[in-house]
Amino acid sequence: MSWLRRLSVVLIVLCSCAPLALAVDVDKARYEKLGGKMQCTCSCSQPLLKCNHVGCTRSEEMIHDLKASLNIAKNTDTNVLDWFRHNYGITAVVEPGTEGFELLAWVVPPALLLAAIVLLVILVRKWRLNALRLAVAEGVTDVQFDAQRARARQETEL
Amino acid sequence: MPLLGNFCLLFSLALAVYCFGAGIVALLQRNPASNRLGETARRAGIGTFITVTGAALALVWAALNNDFSVAYIHDHTNRALPIPYKLAALWSGQEGSLLFWSWLLAGYGFVLRLRHKVDKRLFAYSSVVLAGIQIFFLLIVNMSANPFGIMDRVSADGNGLNPLLQYPEMVIHPPMLYLGWVGFSVPFAFALGALIMKYPGEKWISITRRWTMVTWLFLTCGILLGMHWSYAVLGWGGYWMWDPVENASILPWLTGTAFLHSVMMQEKRGMMKTWNVWLVFTTFMLSILGTFLTRSGVVSSVHSFAESNIGTWFVGDPTRFIPGFLPIVLLVCLFFYIKNRRHLKAENKLEALVSRESSFMFNNLLLLAACFAVLWGTLFPIISEWVKGQKIAVGLPFFNNVNLPAGLFLLFLTALGPLLAWRKTSWASIRKNFAIPAAFSVLTIIVLMALGMRPWVDAAHFYALTAFALGMLVITTITLEFIRGGRVLQGKLHANLLASMLHLLRRNTRRYGGYIVHFGVAVIFIGFAGSAFDKDTEQPLAPGQKMQIGDYILVSQDATIDDNANYKSYATTLDVYKGGKKIANLYPELRTFHISGRPDNEGQPDHIVANHSTFKEDLYVIYASPTQERVPVIKAMVKPLVVWVWIGWLVVVLGTVVALVPNAAPLRSPVAVAVSAPVFESKEMHPAGAVK
Repeated sequence: MSWLRRLSVVLIVLCSCAPLALAVDVDKARYEKLGGKMQCTCSCSQPLLKCNHVGCTRSEEMIHDLKASLNIAKNTDTNVLDWFRHNYGITAVVEPGTEGFELLAWVVPPALLLAAIVLLVILVRKWRLNALRLAVAEGVTDVQFDAQRARARQETEL
Repeated sequence: MPLLGNFCLLFSLALAVYCFGAGIVALLQRNPASNRLGETARRAGIGTFITVTGAALALVWAALNNDFSVAYIHDHTNRALPIPYKLAALWSGQEGSLLFWSWLLAGYGFVLRLRHKVDKRLFAYSSVVLAGIQIFFLLIVNMSANPFGIMDRVSADGNGLNPLLQYPEMVIHPPMLYLGWVGFSVPFAFALGALIMKYPGEKWISITRRWTMVTWLFLTCGILLGMHWSYAVLGWGGYWMWDPVENASILPWLTGTAFLHSVMMQEKRGMMKTWNVWLVFTTFMLSILGTFLTRSGVVSSVHSFAESNIGTWFVGDPTRFIPGFLPIVLLVCLFFYIKNRRHLKAENKLEALVSRESSFMFNNLLLLAACFAVLWGTLFPIISEWVKGQKIAVGLPFFNNVNLPAGLFLLFLTALGPLLAWRKTSWASIRKNFAIPAAFSVLTIIVLMALGMRPWVDAAHFYALTAFALGMLVITTITLEFIRGGRVLQGKLHANLLASMLHLLRRNTRRYGGYIVHFGVAVIFIGFAGSAFDKDTEQPLAPGQKMQIGDYILVSQDATIDDNANYKSYATTLDVYKGGKKIANLYPELRTFHISGRPDNEGQPDHIVANHSTFKEDLYVIYASPTQERVPVIKAMVKPLVVWVWIGWLVVVLGTVVALVPNAAPLRSPVAVAVSAPVFESKEMHPAGAVK
């Protein structure tokens, strides 16, 4: 049965390593996610993780600090970003957060567009109903409308 | 010369004030004497152009003659600067560029006032509005940002021009951008003038549309030249960074584009008059707002001019009750809108959600939403500072995430629009016309996924695949529109399909020119989508060594260091191999420009990019820096499809030029038909450009 014991040991080791591997993936994803939200402050204005030009006075140090801050378990994403803002200046982080006041940056543009579209749909509906009501009152049927439309199209388009 | 320049500026201001004042008086009084007064105002406006030209020439003359007693010339030129860049000094600094702005505005006014016979009264109103804008800019250059300021002590040499601006495109890009920005003053002047005088009919809108198209073309060229300059000069491999100055250029472009679409609804159906007038107002105010943002120092930008006090001129100072130009413009627009809003009553209303009008409405909403998102992102740092006391930076990830979906939806509407009829379209007709483009689009998705594209891998791949599919949808739709129209004419002309399509284009330049513009936009989006597949690598590369990126192998042949009067140059020669075959020689270079007064005499570095461009991809190589041992560090990138961005741009320019050309032969006049249905008596239809 020794082979069975060895296999068990291998399986146990593999199973215990799996979360570790997963953790590495999670860390990498978090590193890339947060790195994508920052820019190098050497004045090249490139995304931090893409700024790898030799001679850059900042990116190497910033990337090192990012890795170090991710190794501290208690650091949340917000903590890390705030730390960079504090230590490298406001221009270090170029993406607003998704909590509190910063959430407004994300919400306002799509909310406004949505409101405008809803308003447009309601208005068009109202205008259409008014036009139909007017047509019914004047005794103009849909068939007449369609015939006139077809004629107008023929005369105004090519 | 500085004295002459100052005199010209002061005289220009006096003439502009006269043009404005006398113009208003002439418009208020309706008698023969007022006509003569109006004529003198018009001539004063023309004179303004001549005197501002004198001031601009005085500054250029000072630059060409190394007159370093002028502070502006000292700060922006030096003796070694080549002549074309000395000319570019006119717009390379705050004071000079404001003078340049005034000169362009005076130039536009000059053309407008010369063409006054088109419609004397409307042009007189517009001339007064333009004179008002002219006064504002002349006040700034006379009182706050005078380009003829004198140095306390005359230096032997100047500081030189910013090295990044020492590139041929930089001699063209800023003037184009300024022509666009300043040009929006003309549609604004027409719109405000027409509103004030309650212009009868729709002629003013067709005049305004043509001016807007010309201006839009300049702005488009300016933006794309800037993108190309950023790509070819800055050495970061990208062309758009969502920098506040870039945003300032795109804001009026977006509203201007919206206007060029919605204006058709006014011309064809007498709809959206209020909307159009406000789009023109907004476009002008955004171009002024952009100027304020980039010159006042309220937002950080790599392009920004130094922080200065001219911001007060634009927005005023509420604490001291000083009104700024922007609030005054807004108040004037609001006043006349409220006073004369009845004149803007629409003759028709939207009748169906599935119609050409509705697609224009959605197109407008999306363009305005994109404009708002850009403005919101640009101003958010200021808003957050007011509210939270902390300036939150907003950059590339935010703008891309917010604007990409809007851009792709716009691309979809670009494909759908031509297939929709005015007033109402049946679903059966959409299905019939949309089947072939949709099939091509689906086929594109299948082929690309078969070739290895995986949209679920990340958002960039998803957006890229969507852009390719929608791009194909637009291209197929437009091609089919040309073929369909060509076939109709083929029978009548007895010519081949190509000749018929060409004839079709000449008969309705505006419509088919517009389609060509849309075609170009689709091509540009395809170029943008390529960025999802960028690759890059970097390493020191001594002579004889090689590096690989994608299918390319780069072999270093030599490394040189050179010095001349203007800059020090580090360069290397690279042989490029692909599939074992030598395909190109590249010479990436790093220049450090000499700055007078610096101990090491070396200033800002500038990358001269070496680019091997093909239809498939660009091999983009820069000399990043020398190591301590003087070994060149080479950064290489492979950037797929970038060339299509520039090709698409040329197509857009071509399309706009076509749309500006008058029709070769007038379109068939509508046949007089006795309309029996009473509904058409109350809701007449007006063909394009018709005067009611």
